[in-house]
Amino acid sequence: MALIRIRNLVKQFGNHTVLDGVNLDLQKGEMKVVMGPSGCGKSTLLRCINRLVEPTSGTILVRDQDIMGAEVDVRALRQSIGFVFQQFALYRHLTVLGNVMLGLRKLRGMSRAEAEAQALFQLNHLEMADHRDKYPSQISGGQKQRVAIARALAMDPAVVVFDEPTSALDPVMVREVADLFNRLNREGVTLLCVTHDLALASQIANRVLFLDQGVIRADDTLENLAKHHPNDQVRAFFGEKEGRS
Amino acid sequence: MNFFELVAQLAQGLVSTVVVTLVCSGTGMAVGLTVAGLRRMGYARVVPFLDGFTYIFRGVPVLVLLFLVYFGLPSVGIKVGPLLAMALSLGLIAGAYLAEVFRGALDSVEASEILAAEAMGMSRFQILTSIEFPQMLRLAVPGMINEFTSILKYSPFAYTVGIAEITKQAMTLTATTLRGIEIYLAVGVLYFLIYRILLAGVHYLEKRYQVPGLGTT
Ligand SMILES: Nc1ncnc2c1ncn2[C@@H]1O[C@H](COP(=O)(O)OP(=O)(O)O)[C@@H](O)[C@H]1O
Ligand SMILES: [Mg+2]
Repeated sequence: MALIRIRNLVKQFGNHTVLDGVNLDLQKGEMKVVMGPSGCGKSTLLRCINRLVEPTSGTILVRDQDIMGAEVDVRALRQSIGFVFQQFALYRHLTVLGNVMLGLRKLRGMSRAEAEAQALFQLNHLEMADHRDKYPSQISGGQKQRVAIARALAMDPAVVVFDEPTSALDPVMVREVADLFNRLNREGVTLLCVTHDLALASQIANRVLFLDQGVIRADDTLENLAKHHPNDQVRAFFGEKEGRS
Repeated sequence: MNFFELVAQLAQGLVSTVVVTLVCSGTGMAVGLTVAGLRRMGYARVVPFLDGFTYIFRGVPVLVLLFLVYFGLPSVGIKVGPLLAMALSLGLIAGAYLAEVFRGALDSVEASEILAAEAMGMSRFQILTSIEFPQMLRLAVPGMINEFTSILKYSPFAYTVGIAEITKQAMTLTATTLRGIEIYLAVGVLYFLIYRILLAGVHYLEKRYQVPGLGTT
């Protein structure tokens, strides 16, 4: 049973078709990478999964439940999917600790002490406990990302999705992010990551999905995509940037 | 009676002035937050009412509304006490202005953080109270100070409905001593002191809840 199963997903904004029949499976424990050029609909795809964006048609099953069903509790669905945004979107008025505690307090109904213990556990896990009392404006991009991950993991989600995890970071951080993702995945976290960073993709996945013109155009190893894919553009996308990594 | 004795006499009205100012500020805050919050929650059906409220209450003179509430309502059988009448006039008008201040400050709350809170599964109301209001209040301090200050400056209207605040005391005192210049100078000094204390209080709160990277300083 796939944790997430997407079939024929279509999303139109007005008469602009962004997703035009996407199929995707994500197994429990898997780390999957979706690549594609800027504007191809990667963020839209992720946002359909937790209904931040309403799909136009198609089905999305999360743990075998059709999330488009009328009886679906959207807020419960969202709580089961950890979302790490491109700019991390930490709450500016809360400390590092406060950011991780908020969901535990408001959504899990934990007492302050319980929430603090759980939040500190996650921050420790991401080596951010020393920064617990700092505000988002006082920490670096990489540290913000770790807090955002701790905030997502604290809710014990079935999967954590990442939107362009390296785009807001210094390129030298890619190695660190890759190591972190690999570690989390080894520890059993299911990850779905969309990116156009080839360096990151090559360090966290053997196979990647290529999203282009609204569909998954390829599902292959990076090497095959760069060297043997029949389409020039696809080869160019995966080849051209390889030099940078 | 020397100048300081005059001030001491006038100070008897001080408590009333402070109470009127605090009650109207409190009403204004509650109304302003409710109006700005309801608008933010995106209930399309209430928006015309909110627009109507701010449109009307920002346009009505305080004294006219005060008389309407205090002298007008009893004629339809609703008796309103002086303090409540102040809250329902000056307080509501301040609420209409504060709602606009809050609306502007709410627009400065990062959309990405609201989206992150939605993605986490928080309800619209939880987002309003846990993310938007806490950030907005820090951003709205200058506008709030303006509004509290004008409430203080409108508080003398309270004497027209029988609240013996500073100005009322001054009028009584002037009538008996005929030392108008000194008395009204002293009144000015008292209002100035209240204003400075009010300001210090707001600045204390601002500092207490100050967050690096957010707000005016
Ligand atoms: N809310 C929206 N309304 C209209 N068009 C949108 C909206 N969100 C995204 N789009 C459009 O959909 C396309 C895909 O956007 P996005 O999913 O952000 O791409 P990516 O994340 O791959 O860069 C873009 O052309 C973008 O302009
Ligand atoms: Mg994107």
